[in-house]
Amino acid sequence: MTPRARLLVFIGACACVLPAAVDVVMHMPAFGVHPLPYGDAVNRLGTAERHVTNMVSLVNFDVRGFDTLGEEFMLLCAVTGVTILLRGARGEQPTAEPGYAPGRPDVRRSAAVTAIGRVFAPLIVLFGFYVVLHAMTTPGGGFQGGVIMASGCLLIWMGDGYRSWRQMMRTEILDAAEGFGASLYAAAGLAPMVLGLPFLTNILPFGQPKDLLSGGLMLVLNAGVGFAVAGGFGVLFVEFLEETRAVPLGGGE
Amino acid sequence: MSVWGLPGLVPLPVVLPLVVAGVLLAFSKLLPARLPDAIAVLTTVTVSGLCADFALHIGDQPLVYWFGGWTPRDGQVLGISFAVDPAGAILGAFSGLLFTCSLIFAWGYYDEVHAHFHVLMLLFMAGMVGFCLTHDLFNMFVWFEVMSVAAFALTGYALRSSSLVGALNFTVINTIGSYLILAGIGLLYAQGGALDFSALAQAVAKTPADPVLTAAFALVAMGFLIKAAQVPFQPWLADAHAVAPSPVSVIFSGIMVPLGLFGLARMVCDVFAASPEVHRVATTLLLGMGALTAVLGGVMALIQRHIKRLLAFSTISHTGIMMIGLASLNRVGLAGLLAYLIGHGLVKASLFMVAGIIEARCVGTDEIGLRGAGRPFWAVGIVMAVGALMLAGLPLGLMKIGSEQIVGAAHAFRQGGTGAVLIGAACTGAAVLRVAGRVFGGFGPVPGEEKRAPTEQEREKADRPLSLMLAPTLLLLMLAVLPAESGRAFLDHAATMLRHASDVRDLVPGSATGGLASPSARRGELAAPVMRTIGPWISVGLAIVIAVYHLGRSRIQPAINKGVDRVLGPWVEVLQGLHGGLIGDYVAWVVVGLAVFAVTCAFA
Amino acid sequence: MTGMLCWATVAWLLGIGLYGIVTSRNYVHLVGCLSVVQASTYLLLLGIGYRWQAGPPIFYDHPPGTPAVDPVVQALVLTDIVIGATVTALLLALVLRLHKRTGSLDAGSIRPLSR
Repeated sequence: MTPRARLLVFIGACACVLPAAVDVVMHMPAFGVHPLPYGDAVNRLGTAERHVTNMVSLVNFDVRGFDTLGEEFMLLCAVTGVTILLRGARGEQPTAEPGYAPGRPDVRRSAAVTAIGRVFAPLIVLFGFYVVLHAMTTPGGGFQGGVIMASGCLLIWMGDGYRSWRQMMRTEILDAAEGFGASLYAAAGLAPMVLGLPFLTNILPFGQPKDLLSGGLMLVLNAGVGFAVAGGFGVLFVEFLEETRAVPLGGGE
Repeated sequence: MSVWGLPGLVPLPVVLPLVVAGVLLAFSKLLPARLPDAIAVLTTVTVSGLCADFALHIGDQPLVYWFGGWTPRDGQVLGISFAVDPAGAILGAFSGLLFTCSLIFAWGYYDEVHAHFHVLMLLFMAGMVGFCLTHDLFNMFVWFEVMSVAAFALTGYALRSSSLVGALNFTVINTIGSYLILAGIGLLYAQGGALDFSALAQAVAKTPADPVLTAAFALVAMGFLIKAAQVPFQPWLADAHAVAPSPVSVIFSGIMVPLGLFGLARMVCDVFAASPEVHRVATTLLLGMGALTAVLGGVMALIQRHIKRLLAFSTISHTGIMMIGLASLNRVGLAGLLAYLIGHGLVKASLFMVAGIIEARCVGTDEIGLRGAGRPFWAVGIVMAVGALMLAGLPLGLMKIGSEQIVGAAHAFRQGGTGAVLIGAACTGAAVLRVAGRVFGGFGPVPGEEKRAPTEQEREKADRPLSLMLAPTLLLLMLAVLPAESGRAFLDHAATMLRHASDVRDLVPGSATGGLASPSARRGELAAPVMRTIGPWISVGLAIVIAVYHLGRSRIQPAINKGVDRVLGPWVEVLQGLHGGLIGDYVAWVVVGLAVFAVTCAFA
Repeated sequence: MTGMLCWATVAWLLGIGLYGIVTSRNYVHLVGCLSVVQASTYLLLLGIGYRWQAGPPIFYDHPPGTPAVDPVVQALVLTDIVIGATVTALLLALVLRLHKRTGSLDAGSIRPLSR
């Protein structure tokens, strides 16, 4: 189809959908006042039964922990896929020089940028760690914290450039962290099965509410997610930034 | 219950491949070359065995398993459950079988990147099995996504620009489908306040005519139909299947695409069992879409010359045939869907393996360019010809049972479906038969200009032993051809439980939902005996005639050929143009599909 | 009225995202539009879980039993975000590779599948 024909088809179809969409919007339950039995039930029993104060984490790691298992391995899947797509065509030597897009000026970084990167990178990684640790009590969790940790490292790339960053990020360690984290999640789920209980049953002591170590098995699962996400996003950043590397002579595409 | 089928082992078919994949990835650099192959095959065999055992040992009640021990309390469902019914378990077992065969077929195929192929394949399988067994809508969506993400990555594996574009189209369209499903889940949650199938079914039973619920059904159904590549959502499938590595295409066509229909069957028969409105929309719309898909896929297959693309279109056509069975929404049609799904999966998997053998041995996938190139290994050609006749409707094995029941159900409930089944089967059979004749028999020379292959030259790793590739091909074809009358009772039982899922399961104490007894359920028992016996032979005969015409064109009067081309040529151009590989076009058709749903819901 | 606004915005985001994909001439832009389509699902889920005069489902400063919004949809949105991140990463990797192969990002000018 020509772009114009395509647009006409799209607009025509939208015109048919519009009345239905309006009808559905008019019949939606009243915003902010309709009953939420599932969420209310979770809010009601969370602190009493699992001694945690963050209900979102309770849903993620206990009540609907099986979803998070799938989510973790979905991330693993995507990271593996990206690795195949990017590394598969490029080779794996981490020795080559960083590359520059043709026509883009190579501006030297100012000392201020480098300094800020060096000061804040560890602080942000520390903050990510804090977010992971406080999953059971205050907003946060393994996923959010893992992403913060992995992206904090990017400041080194911004400040010191590709080579220092690449020396810091070792793909073997990141791969291992990712595989280990996801496997830890699955293994923690399997442990109760050995005792004859259902998969992911929370068998560890729950601790005290508002305590960092409350939540029992959720702590292990949260740690697994933290490892998997920090490692997974680390690999993603490495693979994408590797693309800025120069193509070796004669080996180009 | 056998030792294997202990109820406590229900999560293993999903969790085992996940754990193995995680460990394989963590140690990928340390493992010796062939070990990941062996570990992966062992895992798939175990999963297949576990699921088969579940399938055979479930009685009249599904095996319910609450994760984390979160059983419902005071009528409120809290956790996620698996409800293993025979239909879901047998599909899990079947996908395990296909993965096993595909991994053996791919043995030694990938050694560049450490075990990454195996990791993706195992995650792919885990997603499928989870999708088949789960009894929670959002959990179903999660496994659906795991399966999709693995499939996206595997499609682009070859890193050619055609495979990259194919993977892009596949990813974008299917991701839009996922978001539509998620939006539907959101609407269901807003109205029903739950995610468990049974709890949602109860909510639907309370307000069956609510437009929000109908919209939720339309969105979820659209997502599954995009996955099942039904008209007008079909073009992505040809792009993706044609460019994916052959072992991956085996899985795509054999089970991934039809699973979309299985998901839809779960929705209609379980969550929306008590909504007459949804059933009305489903019967009209699904029958029409299925019939159109069966015919269009068949015609498209006939006008292809890229062998894998041709097979991909035949998958579209046969998924349309399955949909005709689903559209009847009765026990007979659903049993037909299950039988046809497995029978077709076996045949199509072996045909894609044949295509992979051709690609590896002859370096290419262009039917016309490869004329006669397959003569040195003519035995493979026989496999392909038998597969082609099976597609055309040769009354053997599971496919026979399936098409009998689909035709029976379609006939009882509306006539149009039967014709579409016959045309789709005949066209796809003819197309594959033509390829077999041309590549392995050297028939059907094509003069001059047209000889030029339009696609970029494709090849797969060639130095694999033929025996390792041929063994799984033969095994699958044999399973497809073997008499399967003994499976009829099992499939009937599975279909009954699938159809009446919402009656059987009354997990939440309180009111039973009560399935909808549609009038077609009774009429579905009557099949037209004449069509049942003659129908298959009509389509087989038609397939042979079309194939012979195509191969014998050079011996026919040029004037006749010219006349045929003048009449059909413009239509062929239009059809090819509609499948031009442009993502914008495909998305425009998705919106058209949305419009079709909206209009049908308004007037049904 | 505010409620209608929320649901109407969801429909608008879905529609405008699809419009962007249909008319896109650049794969990176297309991936961005796909994220817009996804944003509609975030808004829908969070809107459904919202409740007037209710706090967050975190009972650290408030005692359990304080009115709170639905934690389940928030957990679902978290999963949704992961899905978005994974798919976007995969798509961008594909786009990057395609750009290296063909030097173009326009779907209309690449067309290796034209037959």
